[in-house]
Amino acid sequence: MANYLAQFQTIKSACPCMIVAVEDVSDIWPTVKSSFEQRLPFKKACLNNKTRNPVFLENLRAEFVLTTDARLRSRFPQEQYLFWFREPYATLVLATCEDLDEFKNILKPRLKVFAQNDEREWFIVFVSKAHPSNDQATKMAKKVYAKFEADFSSKKRERCCKFDIHGPEPNFWEELEFRIIESVKNTLDRRIQFYEDEIRKLSEQRFMPIWNFCNFFILKESLAFMFEIAQLHEDALREYDELELCYLETVNMGGIYREFGGLDRGDDQAALLNPGKKSLTQIVLDETFREFEFRQYLFACQSKLLFRLNRSFEVASRGHSFIISFSKSLQSNESMLPFCMREVWVITACLALIDATGTKYNGEDEAPEIVKEFYRVQGDLYSLCRTKLLRLAYLIGYGTEIERSPVNSASLSMLPWPRPAVWPSVPDEASSEVDVKEKMLQQESPRARHFGLQRKPLPLEPTVLVGEANRRRTSFSVGNASEIFYAGRIDDGLASNESSKQSPADKVQAIMMSRTYSSPGNFDCSIGRRPMRLAEIFVAAEYALKKTISNPDLQKILLSVESFEQKYMELTKGAADSYHHSWWKRYGVVLDGEIAAVCFKRGNFDLAAKSYEKVCALYAGERWEDLLAEVLPNLAECQKSLDDLAGYLTSCVRLLSLDKGLFSAKERQVFQSEVVSHAHSEMARHVHLDVSSLITFSGNPGPPMALCDGDPGTLSVTVWSGFPDDITLDSISLTLMATYNADEGGKLRNSSATCLKPGRNPITFPLPPQKPGSYVLGVLTGHVGHLTFRSHSFSRGGPADSDDFMSYEKPTRPILKVFKPRPLADLSAAISSALLINETQWVGIIAQPLKYSLKGAVLHIETGPGLMIEESHSIEMERYRNSAQGSADTANSGDAAKDCSSAANKHLEKLCLVNGKIDFPEWASDVSSILWIPIRAIDDKLARGSSSGGPDRQSVVDRMRTLALKLEFGISKNQIYERPVTLHFSDPFHVTTRIVDQCDDDTLLLQVTLHSQLNATLSVYDVCLDLQAGFIHAGKGNGRPISGSFPLIISPTSKVGLLFRLCSKKRSAEDENKVSPENILNIRYGISGDRTIGAHPPLAMKSNETGDTGRGLSFRSTLILQQPILNPCLAVGFLPLPSDCFRVGQLVTIKWRVERLKDNEEKRVPQNNDEMLYEINVNSDKWMLAGRKRGHVSLAMKQGSRIVISILCMPLVAGYIHPPRLGLPDVNEANISCRPAGCHMVCVLPPAPSSSFCISA
Amino acid sequence: MIVCVAVVGHQNNPLYIQSFTDADDALKLHHIVHCSLDVVDERVNNPKKSGPTLNETFLGLLYPTENYKVYGYLTNTKVKFILVTTDLDVRDADVRNFFRRFHAAYVDAVSNPFHVPGKKITSRTFADRVSTIVQSFGLSSAA
Repeated sequence: MANYLAQFQTIKSACPCMIVAVEDVSDIWPTVKSSFEQRLPFKKACLNNKTRNPVFLENLRAEFVLTTDARLRSRFPQEQYLFWFREPYATLVLATCEDLDEFKNILKPRLKVFAQNDEREWFIVFVSKAHPSNDQATKMAKKVYAKFEADFSSKKRERCCKFDIHGPEPNFWEELEFRIIESVKNTLDRRIQFYEDEIRKLSEQRFMPIWNFCNFFILKESLAFMFEIAQLHEDALREYDELELCYLETVNMGGIYREFGGLDRGDDQAALLNPGKKSLTQIVLDETFREFEFRQYLFACQSKLLFRLNRSFEVASRGHSFIISFSKSLQSNESMLPFCMREVWVITACLALIDATGTKYNGEDEAPEIVKEFYRVQGDLYSLCRTKLLRLAYLIGYGTEIERSPVNSASLSMLPWPRPAVWPSVPDEASSEVDVKEKMLQQESPRARHFGLQRKPLPLEPTVLVGEANRRRTSFSVGNASEIFYAGRIDDGLASNESSKQSPADKVQAIMMSRTYSSPGNFDCSIGRRPMRLAEIFVAAEYALKKTISNPDLQKILLSVESFEQKYMELTKGAADSYHHSWWKRYGVVLDGEIAAVCFKRGNFDLAAKSYEKVCALYAGERWEDLLAEVLPNLAECQKSLDDLAGYLTSCVRLLSLDKGLFSAKERQVFQSEVVSHAHSEMARHVHLDVSSLITFSGNPGPPMALCDGDPGTLSVTVWSGFPDDITLDSISLTLMATYNADEGGKLRNSSATCLKPGRNPITFPLPPQKPGSYVLGVLTGHVGHLTFRSHSFSRGGPADSDDFMSYEKPTRPILKVFKPRPLADLSAAISSALLINETQWVGIIAQPLKYSLKGAVLHIETGPGLMIEESHSIEMERYRNSAQGSADTANSGDAAKDCSSAANKHLEKLCLVNGKIDFPEWASDVSSILWIPIRAIDDKLARGSSSGGPDRQSVVDRMRTLALKLEFGISKNQIYERPVTLHFSDPFHVTTRIVDQCDDDTLLLQVTLHSQLNATLSVYDVCLDLQAGFIHAGKGNGRPISGSFPLIISPTSKVGLLFRLCSKKRSAEDENKVSPENILNIRYGISGDRTIGAHPPLAMKSNETGDTGRGLSFRSTLILQQPILNPCLAVGFLPLPSDCFRVGQLVTIKWRVERLKDNEEKRVPQNNDEMLYEINVNSDKWMLAGRKRGHVSLAMKQGSRIVISILCMPLVAGYIHPPRLGLPDVNEANISCRPAGCHMVCVLPPAPSSSFCISA
Repeated sequence: MIVCVAVVGHQNNPLYIQSFTDADDALKLHHIVHCSLDVVDERVNNPKKSGPTLNETFLGLLYPTENYKVYGYLTNTKVKFILVTTDLDVRDADVRNFFRRFHAAYVDAVSNPFHVPGKKITSRTFADRVSTIVQSFGLSSAA
């Protein structure tokens, strides 16, 4: 069967689409050909797939081929079956006939031949040449066509259709297309069945010795190809997949030795997208399929179908896994393949796949997951290609150009060296190149890292190359194997065992040495006998690679470092961009870092910094500090080169805040010194630096500091410094944030230079008064030169924790509480009422601290009008203990009480009033104290007594005095408490008088009552009444009361009465001058009170007055006396009314009786007769008088004489009205006594009903 | 041979990473572990892809390369265990078994009252136990 392979391939290539055979019976094909072919490809078709499910296809390609064509002739029947797919899928019989005889005799027998052939799907197209205008011809054509139908069509199947050459019927083409598709479908079904049967037969023999993969392959591929030309790509793909599976099984089964292939020129270039790269005959050798070519061929067929199905993503993803698995196969056959064939193949395969899938891919219709996945695969392909390119570059000595980054190390150091059968050796003509390489190797030196960091470079090589290469050489040759082995051991040892003992610097050197392994001139023997040096290995590899690589582009890439680097960048960028479009962001960012490394090396710091920033952000965001420590110094160096000082210093701080184990103490000190030296250098502008990760702060443990509103304080804060050395801050400040409002808060500043030691530093800040509320720590700011540190990191009482994610969450525990304004101290008067006026009195002011120290307090005292402080006396201060409060006080402030116990013993302290101020003594800071201030209220007015029951009391307000007190206290006298204290002063007594009795002899008994106004007991020693004009003391009175038993003791608020006998009498003129215009009561009294209760004996003003005081105090009060005014001589009585009620219009007699009470000669009217004038006063609207309204009546002058005056009157209105009144115009009102008194109102009823208006019923 | 095992916290921060190579090249393993988180994220964020293994902690092979394999395991607290091995023929059952034991060790380590959740695991006992588990990896299948 293998013989057929070549034929198979030519047939395949010659047969691009389905064939519809045209049996041109009547030689009319040329005339209709063009109109038939115009219908191609078929717009719509429905074919059955392998599982007999209809599949709708569009634009089904097909070709009309005459049966006489060379392609359809001369085939052997066997071939026909084998390559059945190329046989026509439908046969279209073109026939024309103009009369029935011709049909019967010529055409029908020929057509019968087709009709009997079961294997063909045929149908007849009757071409009518009749012109539509020619009726006869048309009719004939119809008749003939009817005959056709009768003979060839059956009920089951229509096999005829009619084509009018001059104008086909409108639905002809549709019918034709339908017939063709129907035929194609039937043929296809039959052929699928056939192939399936054949394949099944073969599969059954699978494990028999006669089984031949080649036959299986041809059948399978024929079927696949048939599906392909029927545009059933899915089915075709499935066939190929099955074929691949089957093939892999046979390969893995082993047993028979198979040639792997891949030894031809150009095989290094992957052919996984080009199925026609090699002919099948090249692939198959003695019935065995060479794996190298065949697997690529299968993949190429699959990818072709996938591309047709618009499934570029699948090509990429299948391609990636294909490359991986194929690479494994290459590896296992590596010894037979050219040097580095595997790497080169992978590179070309990846590039081809990337290119093909990238250009054909349009992810518009795909789901977003698929798009991402596609880019991920692209990225994988790029990075796989990149890894292999790096490996090749390393082998030819570009290793120094390769960044020893974690990515490169991860992909290269675990990738084994190529394992050729024999490591290539240096060709003879290359000795000059070896020398050049040698020199290059010697010149190169590791790039000094910034900050003088010493790190052992990560390995790029799985084992030491020198050892590996020489081992490969010697394994097939005799000689100095042991020596080489030894050399290898040394290298290995350097890399592992001694690494622990050596400092990093030595390690770097050791690695460099081990890599160069240069000892030129030591070996005299030829290269073949002695171990190769590194330069030789590189040159040898380069030569070998040149031989392997057939692609000129790839050769060019490896020709120079520059072109390599360009390709390297291209691949890295491609990978990074693809990964950025996928889920795998980390891969993308890390590869960005690789791009940055190259930019960095080439001095393109701007780009490098941008990419490095991304990488650092990635690592820092997830706290991969080890990786961060690798990249961050590079970023710092870029930033320094770019003069980005802020960025550079931030990077230094970040380096410092990394885990301490990542850098040595010395290195950390270098970071710090960079920061400090830049801070003090001439920086163009101020730089703000966030050091939250390095400097943290916390308040002191315990409850928050509590301050009263307006009080300053000092706040102590613990600052943790993560700097390795002491760092001196020029100033340090801290903000406080109010918890109730983030905008509120204060700033504390400690402007003195502060040295932060590594670790814990207690720092105190002066705290100015803050608004009430609770505060948390905000931001710590420090200044070093032109640098401002900011830290918002709050530590929980420990150093900055590198494990913690940076959280700017504010601590919830408040550090400071400022209370709302509340009374802190209270001032009140101990006794505010009833102090003795006009005398020096102690007024007690209680100063009470309300849970607040009054230390250093100052009391300002200002007196109001009418009040003065007796400055001659000192002020006394003593502890105040309220009986009610006392117990509570001691309980609350036990300590304070104890402290003050000594002070309490000291009863009194005398203080001086200086400029109206008193300084509080020390002992009074925490306890309530009372200040006794000597004051005197002045009132010039004399006290006025009042007659009994009269309202004439002196207004209390007149005796009020105010004392303005202002207490300054607090830590810096910031607290001020002001309070006016009202004091009430009073006379000792209030005097009331009452005439008790007026005797006949004009003597008056005057009772004087002394009301005590004070809380103190008063003793009256003496009372003397000075009378005004018109009164004299009766008898030989000397102004003393009648019965005087002095001293009189008056208890508080009680009264005492005194009785005086007076009489009114005119005095002589000289007397008039002597006596006062008022009656004055002089009282000499004593007082025995306590200042804590109220009024008390006044302070002795002067020593010479002491005697006076002993005799008592004096008090004067005025009294008012009036001569009697009422002196009735006439009594007017209203006689009782005759009836209870009056009526309007009814005459009434009202009577008064006038009686002379006494013979008052003094007041006698000068007329000297008995006539007395009377007058009736009445409202004329209401009353009508009958008789005289005014007139004289005679009344004897004698006492007891009486007369009745009566008057007739009539009320005019109803209701309660005033009755008429009797007036005596000649007599003074004061001399008339109305007894019995007249009625005030009388009731007047309406007039009686008149009977004339009443009609009885 | 297992070259590296790692515990990664739920915020993708490394909690414990231990390499078992002779060379001083832990950093490359850090890189491998870190990048494999991409795959874990992808699996977690694409529940469609994980399909029936939705509730399974074992994530399977995360990232096959030519030279090493990365396996993942995701606990219900979103802590990830990553295993890097250079063994290319590893049985899934072995890896599952490994992760199960590793998980148990981890649970014991974080149950220590002195361990702060979310912080790096510094317990020496845990390290010892892990290295024992690593050493015994694959032995059952070999035996």
